[in-house]
Amino acid sequence: MLTMLEEVVLLAVDEQTGRVQTSQGYGTGYALAGAVFFDLALAKKIDTDTDNVLILDPTPTGIAVLDKALLTMAKHPDKKTVRSWIEELKSLDQELEEAALQLLVERGVLRHETSKRLWIIDVERFPVVDDKPQRHVKLRLAQAILGDEIPDTRDIMLVSIAEACGLLSLVLQPHELELRRQRIDVLCGLETISRTVKAAIDDLYQHIRSASIQPM
Amino acid sequence: MEIKQESRGGWCIVAVTGRADATTADALEAALVSAVQANAKVAVDFSGLDYISSAGLRSILQGARAAQESKAEFMVCAPKPNTKTVLDVSGMQHVVRIEANLPC
Repeated sequence: MLTMLEEVVLLAVDEQTGRVQTSQGYGTGYALAGAVFFDLALAKKIDTDTDNVLILDPTPTGIAVLDKALLTMAKHPDKKTVRSWIEELKSLDQELEEAALQLLVERGVLRHETSKRLWIIDVERFPVVDDKPQRHVKLRLAQAILGDEIPDTRDIMLVSIAEACGLLSLVLQPHELELRRQRIDVLCGLETISRTVKAAIDDLYQHIRSASIQPM
Repeated sequence: MEIKQESRGGWCIVAVTGRADATTADALEAALVSAVQANAKVAVDFSGLDYISSAGLRSILQGARAAQESKAEFMVCAPKPNTKTVLDVSGMQHVVRIEANLPC
């Protein structure tokens, strides 16, 4: 089974070009940090309440990128809030994305290609080798959003991270997203981690807007 | 956490006391799924619940999910103010029926 981090990064890989689209949004780092939190929660390494993170078991999961985050958290028991850790892990966004892509290559889902643009600029691509996992992720997202049933825990988490990354438009049409906006918002609100990710992204965009209208 | 189950007035009452967190979430989810599969009407009595974490909330959601699949009636009842606040903050009331009192 793929990790939440792998699933959301895989979703961002363009199946035609092999390009990764997650790096384009300002909020992506927060969302990837949120995915790591969900993976650690699913592995029963951490739990959260409305504000704080509790480390339950600092022993490794066996997945290096998750273990690095877990070890960092375990070393700083004074830092307790979900928000402070989301902010901390957000700075690792490039590392988280690269680790997820590497795992997907190792699993045979993607292939890593490098080429040169204008003879000097390295261009990385990750063409899809096995398209079943990506189709499965898209199908689960579509079912979770378009259906009326309560989704599986993983699918609730996946919707909230994909929404935070701005990736739902790769799965559903704009009119479908508009029609199901209320349900998407409900699903995204159910988890402390996704509410915190959303708050962090909202604050970031507010900061950007404020900075852009400052008088010279 | 302690879970007790009894039948009353046509309802299966699942009374949960103590803490619903990552250490007890699996037991809570298993109890709720089992209750909704065996009963048409299930009320979860939270009057004795002192604390609920995200893992505990996920157990409730999965219990409600199993109830949908089994076409069973499912509600969470009588949460203490601190638990009610957690349920409200998560927007749980949009997905799961939450009542101030037990049905019977």
